[in-house]
Amino acid sequence: MIDRSYKDLLKMQRFPHTWCPGCGIGAVMKNVAMGLKELGWDHQNTVAVSGIGCSGRMASYMNLDALHTPHGRALTAAETIKTVRSDLNVIVLSGDGDLGSIGGNHLLHTSRRNPDITVFCNNNEIYGLTGGQAGPTTPKGTKTITSPRGEAYLPLRLGRLLTHQAPYFFARTSVYHLNHLKTCIQEALQWRGFSFVDIVSDCIELNGRRLGFKTAHQMFKWFDQRFHIVEGVRDHLNDDELGIAKAEETLEQSVQPAQETEKKVEARTEGLTSFTLEELQRFDGMEGRPIYIAYKGKVYDISRSPLFQGEKRMRCHVAGKDLTKDIEIAPHGEDLVFKFQVVGRLV
Amino acid sequence: MKRLVSGNEAIFQGAIRAGARYFAGYPISPTSEILQQAAAHAEEDPNFRFLQAEDEIAAAIATISAALSGVKAFTATSGPGFSLMQEALGWGHVVEAPCVFVNSMRVGPSTGMPTQPAQSDLLQIKGGSSGDIYPIALYPNSVEESFRLTVTAFNAAEESLSPVILLCDAFLSHLYEIVDLEGINVEPVPRTKEPLGRGKRLFTGISHDTMGNTRTSHPDVYRDWFAEVKERHHGAAQKVPLYEYLPRQGSSVLLIAFGITSRILSPLKSNFSLFRPIRIYPVLEDELKEVTRSYRHIVVVEGSDGQYASWVECAIGRKVVKVPCLGGGFKFQWIRSQIEEQLKGEAA
Repeated sequence: MIDRSYKDLLKMQRFPHTWCPGCGIGAVMKNVAMGLKELGWDHQNTVAVSGIGCSGRMASYMNLDALHTPHGRALTAAETIKTVRSDLNVIVLSGDGDLGSIGGNHLLHTSRRNPDITVFCNNNEIYGLTGGQAGPTTPKGTKTITSPRGEAYLPLRLGRLLTHQAPYFFARTSVYHLNHLKTCIQEALQWRGFSFVDIVSDCIELNGRRLGFKTAHQMFKWFDQRFHIVEGVRDHLNDDELGIAKAEETLEQSVQPAQETEKKVEARTEGLTSFTLEELQRFDGMEGRPIYIAYKGKVYDISRSPLFQGEKRMRCHVAGKDLTKDIEIAPHGEDLVFKFQVVGRLV
Repeated sequence: MKRLVSGNEAIFQGAIRAGARYFAGYPISPTSEILQQAAAHAEEDPNFRFLQAEDEIAAAIATISAALSGVKAFTATSGPGFSLMQEALGWGHVVEAPCVFVNSMRVGPSTGMPTQPAQSDLLQIKGGSSGDIYPIALYPNSVEESFRLTVTAFNAAEESLSPVILLCDAFLSHLYEIVDLEGINVEPVPRTKEPLGRGKRLFTGISHDTMGNTRTSHPDVYRDWFAEVKERHHGAAQKVPLYEYLPRQGSSVLLIAFGITSRILSPLKSNFSLFRPIRIYPVLEDELKEVTRSYRHIVVVEGSDGQYASWVECAIGRKVVKVPCLGGGFKFQWIRSQIEEQLKGEAA
């Protein structure tokens, strides 16, 4: 007996759906619904977001609260929902044109901010709904109605783009490799953070026939020739590989400069000369005198500062003065002062 | 406590008083201070979330998505950013997202003169998005009123179930006045729209019926939907018929000005009658008809080339005298001489 309970997650009353016979989007939607069902995700705890295009219609068939955003904005909407309502699971159902082209900027930045959302990208390498124009993932040389002599440019490689910096989860699968598709959907839904499933799909009517395929099935067989499944967890996927590439933690070092501590400075003041504010004023750098300034009760010799050289004043800082307040409101930190030799105490 | 408060701060604090719990924005002069305050506030209040987005498109989409998620949300920008937000503004109307867009106007078109004040984004309120939309737009002229009207804008958003626009100008954004924000008495209304995660609804920018089913070739469904939305917006706007009218006995001239221009012209109240629309859109048609009836000359002074004046002419069916203050030049003496010159021309 086949388990058909995933249909609870689909608005069956709205069927038949809008997609052409042979389209891969149905397989994407069905398998996502099955994945959600297995995890017990439903309209009480899950929101679907989609963009514009044939694939963008998926959210409207899901039996969930669903957002159908303007073209390309699905990721921003999904990220915001997750930010405001961390109790909700958020999935994005969209396509390569929506996510990679008009939504390209959001793809860069939402993936960088790593919200806990799962993106399913129906990648058919074409703009289907608008009639078969070349898309951002259309391979170079492919003839479409906007590239009659073959697409002139290299395609966007989503896999390379989304795995350049950990943490990441990028899976590539296809609507022909159904078991692999199920595995990828399951893993992606359970990944904590931004996960992206690139699902190789077909558009037989507006792409496949122009490429010379007579049926959707011929296209699926072509997917089988073009791609092969790689097992296990990988760092990266080659362009002909179906599999999962993921990395948990970033290897980047934090680039905060080490701050010299106040304590270290205090230790250096013992036994040094005391200055009053009047005495300090004499050390203004004029007529060969050194330049002294005071900061938090200590007097520093900043004669070697290139910014003060030969001048009594550097922007708003005046030589021979107590600059504690100046430095507190300055755009730079106090570490700039700590570089210099302490010559005394301000009394 | 009385203290010096800027227009930007008053707007931010007004939003907090109204119950805002989400802000998304992109740095742009003159509203970057609102973004900065949101960042600082998010550090203090874990219930307040903030996003510095990658662009104004994302900021506006995030604001509307947050509103649909169940919190009061707002964004702030200036003219060039507001142009990018038009897509989301139209979407916000269709998916019925109550939120507030703050637009502090500077000289345009394009990057224009950063950051000189202007009042030239009025047509953008209604005309920037595709299709017909009727967003409510309010425009204060003091720091205290910025605070009050921010709360009013959030309330009107709940009423109209749509984005409401709070207009401002670069002058007012950076104007400091002594105000006791805590002492201002305003009544925020609670959120009534059901948050996400409670149903099986579809929030779509595509024409749809009441069940949320997309209907792309049904004129009757569209007309029913449009009539309902238009009536809701009209009703919500009727509840904020805000204006200020200072008649002067014996004057045959009515000066119409709003925002910072009305502040600059206030010394002229001893010479002319003054009318200040606070609700800029939908246009105060009935009020304008009533007020302008007894005046021979209607003069509209504004920081654009007659954007509001054209609306006034439409509303009252008469020509008005236009005094455009362009390029950020809002000097009192200059404006007064312009008014006098124009009126001389009218009389001759």
